[in-house]
Amino acid sequence: MPSQRRNFVLTASLLLTLACFAAFAFNKKKEKNASDPSQMDDSRRALHALQRLTFGPRPGDAERVAAMGVDKWIDLQLHPEKIDDSAVNARLSGFRTLGMETREIVENFPPQQLIKAVAEGKKPMPSDPVKRAVYQAQIEKLEEKRERKQDAAPQTTASTTPPAAGSPTQDQGAVDNSTGSDSAETSKPSVKDEQASKRREDRLYADLKAQELLDLPPDERMKQVLQLSPEAQRALSLSLKGQRGDDFTMGMNPKQKETLQALNNPQQVVGDELMQAKLLRAIYSERQFDEVMTDFWFNHFNVYLGKGADRYLVTSYERDVIRPHALGKFEDLLVATAKSPAMLFYLDNWLSVGPDSDVARGVSKNPYPRRRRGRFPPPPPRQAKGNGKRKNGLNENYGRELMELHTLGVNAGYTQNDVTEVARVLTGWTIDQPQKGGGFKFEERMHEPGTKIVLGHKIKEHGEKEGTEVLHLLAHHPSTAHFICGKLATRFVSDDPAPALVEEMAQTFLKKDGDIREVLKTMFHSPNFWGADTYRAKLKTPLEFVVSAVRAIGADVSDAAPLARQLNTLGMPLYGMQPPTGYSMKSDAWVNSSALLGRMNFSVALMAGRIKGVQADGDRLAGSASPNATDKVEPDPKQALARLESSLLAGDISKQTHDAIVKEIENPTGSSQATSRKNDKMPASSTGTIAGLLLGSPEFQRR
Amino acid sequence: MSITRRVFFRNSALAVVGTAAVPSFLTRAALGAVEPSGRPQRLVVIFQRGAADGLNIVVPHGERAYYAMRPSINIPRKDVLDLDGFFGLHPSMSSLQPIWTQGHLAIVHAAGSPDPTRSHFDAQDFMESGTPGMKVTIDGWLNRTLHSMPAADKSAFRAIALGPALPRILSGAEPALAVNNISEFGVGGRNPNAAPISNTFEAMYSQSVDTVLHGTGQETFDAVKMLKSADPAKYKPAPGADYPRGRFGDSLRQLAQLIKANLGVQVAFADIGGWDHHVNEGSTEGQIANVLRDFSQALSAFWTDLGDLGEDTVVVTMSEFGRTARENGNRGTDHGHANVMFIMGGPVKGGKVYGPWPGLEQSQLYEGRDLAVTTDFRRVLGEAVTKHLGNSHLEQVFPEFENPAGKFLRYLG
Repeated sequence: MPSQRRNFVLTASLLLTLACFAAFAFNKKKEKNASDPSQMDDSRRALHALQRLTFGPRPGDAERVAAMGVDKWIDLQLHPEKIDDSAVNARLSGFRTLGMETREIVENFPPQQLIKAVAEGKKPMPSDPVKRAVYQAQIEKLEEKRERKQDAAPQTTASTTPPAAGSPTQDQGAVDNSTGSDSAETSKPSVKDEQASKRREDRLYADLKAQELLDLPPDERMKQVLQLSPEAQRALSLSLKGQRGDDFTMGMNPKQKETLQALNNPQQVVGDELMQAKLLRAIYSERQFDEVMTDFWFNHFNVYLGKGADRYLVTSYERDVIRPHALGKFEDLLVATAKSPAMLFYLDNWLSVGPDSDVARGVSKNPYPRRRRGRFPPPPPRQAKGNGKRKNGLNENYGRELMELHTLGVNAGYTQNDVTEVARVLTGWTIDQPQKGGGFKFEERMHEPGTKIVLGHKIKEHGEKEGTEVLHLLAHHPSTAHFICGKLATRFVSDDPAPALVEEMAQTFLKKDGDIREVLKTMFHSPNFWGADTYRAKLKTPLEFVVSAVRAIGADVSDAAPLARQLNTLGMPLYGMQPPTGYSMKSDAWVNSSALLGRMNFSVALMAGRIKGVQADGDRLAGSASPNATDKVEPDPKQALARLESSLLAGDISKQTHDAIVKEIENPTGSSQATSRKNDKMPASSTGTIAGLLLGSPEFQRR
Repeated sequence: MSITRRVFFRNSALAVVGTAAVPSFLTRAALGAVEPSGRPQRLVVIFQRGAADGLNIVVPHGERAYYAMRPSINIPRKDVLDLDGFFGLHPSMSSLQPIWTQGHLAIVHAAGSPDPTRSHFDAQDFMESGTPGMKVTIDGWLNRTLHSMPAADKSAFRAIALGPALPRILSGAEPALAVNNISEFGVGGRNPNAAPISNTFEAMYSQSVDTVLHGTGQETFDAVKMLKSADPAKYKPAPGADYPRGRFGDSLRQLAQLIKANLGVQVAFADIGGWDHHVNEGSTEGQIANVLRDFSQALSAFWTDLGDLGEDTVVVTMSEFGRTARENGNRGTDHGHANVMFIMGGPVKGGKVYGPWPGLEQSQLYEGRDLAVTTDFRRVLGEAVTKHLGNSHLEQVFPEFENPAGKFLRYLG
């Protein structure tokens, strides 16, 4: 049966491709024919534009876009700077890390290496009382851990580090069960009794303390917290889970809230804020297209938040590298990523040492030795020099992905030799003091001397400029133009975009110096984009699905962390794609059983109010036109269904889906609830359930 | 097949190991009552994430260098569970010893990936994609294993991962299920009031005109229904199958339920973390002892629990790389190279440590610090894929790796 299905799909996509060709040829002939059957009719244009340029229409969006004129609206979205976005900025104002330099993030939310350095006296304890409290609590945590390890307790870490909201897993990779499993809680028999009881006592005390502090005004409460002993602070922060935590932080300012979270796990604050901000922007930003493009380019130049230093480098990466160039020149974007500490770290280029460089040959330092304080991880020069264990320190990781994933595309004619040569060119592109959150640095002593040949071009020895020259070469290569345009068309038009469309876009790319905005304009003005067969042809990714659902119901999100966790369940953790390929934009990656069940369950849970932090109101959604109606009457289910079909799916609903829901309304199946209401005129289904069914329907999975 | 003959040999050993539960197929087979051909064969892959310290798991107690390089974390010879006079199991793995004695547990030492990376991140990726050094491989080798072999009836449970997400090893063209908790696989979990909602969704998807979603939707509800009617929860662990508490034990317990419920599981995957012991690794007691106890008890319980079904099952374990031969300054070990793999199952020619031993003298170490790889992990897996699952298209499962049957270790005979 599945193989049958595959045939089905194959045939269907073949037909689709043929149809696209036909449509294209047809359009060339009579471009302006309004009644062209291969083109979308006007009623659908606004909705289609919204489906593709935003994270999904909100109630009333289609009407607004139609009123403004679709072309005008697209043009406005292409110039996000003209759109006021103060509302979403207000929602983000509580997340201080979003505006911090990397150095500040490291200082305020110290990674474990820094904590260790301070604990060992290699770095001074900060004098600021808030920072000091965070550091002390972390040192305490470290000691607790050490004690337990010495006592041979099994699976030590889980109980002290609750998983971050939607955080990608830790060092060990994809499925790390040292976090997030509750197993450790239940099976640690060998912790010494007295310690266990001491800790229990601490917890008890922390509980009492929290209760006592609750009665104080927020500022005073925080002041008291800062005066507690590190042990008590840690115990307190651990006790503040769920509702308890919400109560305790009530009325506190963002810094105070962050500090409380940081007492327990400072690194988590950074990832948490990043993820929440991404979701809130996707849901509420008026600059929707800018968000979509930022997401697109982040995914194209993917870095993984769970890899070491990237935990504190990604904030700046998205803000300073990706977003400012999302609609700019491709070369600028490429160079910015190549020089970003996040990418240098993620793809290891910061460690790459030329085999004949001074560092590799152990040539002694420059005449004025710089002072090096304890670095973590240790700087490559010292490591390579140490005992000569690695003569060839060349790392090809970035050189390969640069061509394969970022520019030319796989099988674009470059050779292994080109990969090695690009890696040699880029030796010395490293990070200045990574442990402090430093920026890009060109280290001459790591750089491979001599001339290099890349794609047949001679790159003369010129230090850092060699890299810039190669990036320029790659950014303007015809293969790059086709690869990038193909990927854009796959995201915005269809899984298998018409070659003619990609070609047209690539021509713009090459003519306009890689101007992304111009390339997008070409795409949005192509009849291919408006082909009748592209309407709802794309399957939503989990991110697109979750955000579009929240937008469609006009929900109010007070806490986006639970939504981020939902994305873990749905297989698309934010900033959590480990391989450099980024997430797939095609349907086959996202259509699997557990994922589909996950979507249905999410839909039902969302409308049942079971996703914390998200207020959904099905009745209001299906309700009367007058929102200020005071007497709340449960609407007739069939009327509600009709309204919801129109507001959630613009009426694009199949007979099968409609009938299935009607059947459920008329004759609720089997459940005890249904039988008890058998004679009711109003059957069991509430508007929320109907909305949940619609969000989980096949139709809503498409955009 | 040779099973029957081998089983005869084992029976004498079984008598000695009175404590271990004896899978009944062994006794039946000894009486010549079982016809092993034609039954579905299955492969279970276990990943030890975090780089397990193979040298303290299967200890080369006959190597003087081992003791010299690990003054504080070695496993003393008197504590090792000797296997063959040279290697021995860590003492907290005693639950696996009976399976070794029965001849259903084999070991490959000094196995690993040829890629020199010492990054967890890259190495796990390579071991799951099955293409060391190639980062752009999109699918996992376990998925390709299914993709390159015919199947008349593809059960929705043909490929399954125990855990919240579909791991890289199982991603790809073939449908594969990720099941975290079998009692919550469905719409609305255990809530009986969710039944109508589930039915409505099913009606939508099974009749949908959406070609892509229709198929998967149908598969999904097939799986949900199969699960419901098979009710795997009713298969309680067999007597003597004492799964340890925790995620890994839960995973294997549920996997055994799915297998016992006859849902058509062909390949399965589960993982266990907590192996990255840079500090205070411990020796006979301590961190490694604890995680090994969990690991071994879960595997042994799984084996006991499967009973007869163990005859058609092969379990292979792997970890991204081994750890340094020397202990470091923190009584731990750092990232190394080669490691140990276990193979357990009915058709396994166990009771033997396979693979050439490279030695631990300074000149024998990889880059002067780690156990050298003498057996490519794909060699070990390739044998299971070909000889157990009957898929001979290894060029598709492990592309660009010469893997002729002649080079197999022959742990499957």
